[in-house]
Amino acid sequence: MADAYTNMAVDEALAQARGEGKSPDTLRFYMWKPSAVTLGYFQSVEDEVNLDALKEYGIYLNRRISGGGAVLNSATGEITYSVVMDERDPRVSSDPVESYRYLCHGIIEALAILGIKADFKPINDIIVGGKKISGNAQIRRYGAVLHHGTLLVDYSAREMFSVLKISKEKLSDKMIQQAEERVTTIRRLLGRQINFDEVRDAFEEGYRRALNAELVPGELTPYENGLVKKFRERYASREWIYRR
Amino acid sequence: MKRFEYKVPGGKLLRVKVEDRDGRISFLQITGDFFLLPETDLEMLENKLIGYPLDAGKIVDAVTGFFAERKTTIAGASPADFAYVINSALGIRA
Repeated sequence: MADAYTNMAVDEALAQARGEGKSPDTLRFYMWKPSAVTLGYFQSVEDEVNLDALKEYGIYLNRRISGGGAVLNSATGEITYSVVMDERDPRVSSDPVESYRYLCHGIIEALAILGIKADFKPINDIIVGGKKISGNAQIRRYGAVLHHGTLLVDYSAREMFSVLKISKEKLSDKMIQQAEERVTTIRRLLGRQINFDEVRDAFEEGYRRALNAELVPGELTPYENGLVKKFRERYASREWIYRR
Repeated sequence: MKRFEYKVPGGKLLRVKVEDRDGRISFLQITGDFFLLPETDLEMLENKLIGYPLDAGKIVDAVTGFFAERKTTIAGASPADFAYVINSALGIRA
């Protein structure tokens, strides 16, 4: 559990360390404290975010190195994961959609373990019964593939609508209802509360099956921690966040 | 500042902000939730088009030629979509 700047710095550090051959392929689960909105690399702050609402709720703002859309990384409503692999790994296709399909498979397996039947929806979503439950983004850098994504455990449409400029129209109950119809959560599907450990255990097993990988628990290495410190400064800078 | 936005059917949203002066592009920014690798290519394209005449056909050729030459990987939009939003923001047609 870390703030947005550290979380994004860790993902980039894992990618660099992997690309340099200093770390193995890595699977990471994490949460956000405080909640944060992350923008896709190519998005503009003014188009996507209601800065007054962010301030009011104490929500951080950050920008990913990956493309895709703005996400509200809620401290309580979702679990985030990243997969870092060698870019030359033949299992990871150079075709973006195939690469997403492959690396989303672990999440689909994890949801199956929890009793939820999910499907990959190109380009980068995972859906259950036509409703989005997970969004994903990838980047290739340093000789590594970084795939990170978020899985909705529970969420508040009202909070999401107040911080993200999903529409220029005034926030209305009708719109919130429409959002509820397009998005779903693990809690809603299971009809019960679910804790982080239970989801993480399913993730581990899901990715172990999907990648046919042996998973060894670990902490960041001193080298990775050094990179995190360096990258965190960039992620926390105004220049980075407001670059578009 | 001229603006245009376009949701690619089955793909992502592209937004353009553009300014022109004396018949040439003087400012260009493309934003959206698409995926493009290497990501530095987008800024390179924006810089390349500064000073370009407001000629829709030339802009299409410049954009599609740039992405082909750079072998840019794009998901959620095509090179032609990028050219389309730039020309639409400028109010010109190929």
